[in-house]
Amino acid sequence: MKTQSCERYLEDPEANAGHLAECEECRALFGETAVATKPLHIEALPLAPWEGAKHRPWPLVALVAFVLLAASVVLCRMAGVSAAEIADHVIGSMQARRAAVLGWADSLREASRAAQIGFVAAFVIVNAVLIALLRRAPRGIDA
Amino acid sequence: MRRILRLFLPLTIVAASLVTAMIAAPHPGNQLEMPFPLEHAASMMQESAVTVSLIAVWLLAAVGLTLMSGREVRSSSIELRHSALHCFTLGLVAVTSFVLTAIVFSYLIPFFVGVPLLFMLAVFAVITKIYGLVAVFHALGALIGGARTRDELASRNWLRGDLALAVLGLVVLGALRLIPVVGPVIWAGASVFGVGSALATKFGRREPWFLAVRTA
Repeated sequence: MKTQSCERYLEDPEANAGHLAECEECRALFGETAVATKPLHIEALPLAPWEGAKHRPWPLVALVAFVLLAASVVLCRMAGVSAAEIADHVIGSMQARRAAVLGWADSLREASRAAQIGFVAAFVIVNAVLIALLRRAPRGIDA
Repeated sequence: MRRILRLFLPLTIVAASLVTAMIAAPHPGNQLEMPFPLEHAASMMQESAVTVSLIAVWLLAAVGLTLMSGREVRSSSIELRHSALHCFTLGLVAVTSFVLTAIVFSYLIPFFVGVPLLFMLAVFAVITKIYGLVAVFHALGALIGGARTRDELASRNWLRGDLALAVLGLVVLGALRLIPVVGPVIWAGASVFGVGSALATKFGRREPWFLAVRTA
């Protein structure tokens, strides 16, 4: 039979510990459990990574963005570089990588049979290692 | 499903645009030369201007990605801090695999299938790099300015939360990137770490890449 005293105990077991001596039903349920329970102090637990994660400090973001943009504009003016030239530079560096890959492919076509077999072996080994590494489960804990 | 779309749709659009621009823009053949000679006139100033401008673009990417998928970025960042060596090894192997696979795909260009395969590989590589570097920003920010206790966290107004940590990491790594000679090496190393952490956590989703075969 659940009484008000039982409910008070359920709400705060530590403050109403004396209730167990009075109520046989609660004592049977919570009195001597097989698992030893200790009072839980949230403050004593280590800080979880998600705590405070949703906070969005817009002044900080705006400040950093302003400083970066201002520095970028000033440096571009001083160096005489336009935004189009920077975009050209980025695309150009990516094109250089593409050209390098195509160049390696061309030189491999003209390489000896042994070099081609070596490349195929390297391709298989690297991808086998990649698959083996991808099979490992992540370790970090994010509750 | 919505979370996956929210993360990958904008990233895929950005990556596909970059790769399309790379393919479509006029290029100087197979010569490895820059579109404008940075090395010649006032190269130091020009390089700094380009770097700072690119860091500003990275800020946009970091803020956008952290707002859209903060939990995934945090998950990859935690993995990076817990298993740094594994992430670095995985990143190195993955970058090598990208290059070797691109060479293999380039053999298939005459058979039509090579071009879409190369395009997809390039898009995937760009997505991995962008996501991974944002995870590195977050990890670096958490290492340098992350709160250790609840009191410390509660006392902070600005330097708390995923967004602040990602921005802090970007500022620190961006400042390191400005150092001549060493900066690009540090940035490239961070990219390798980022690619590794992105792949190790399957872009923060912490799901297995392959289905396990269970024998009866």
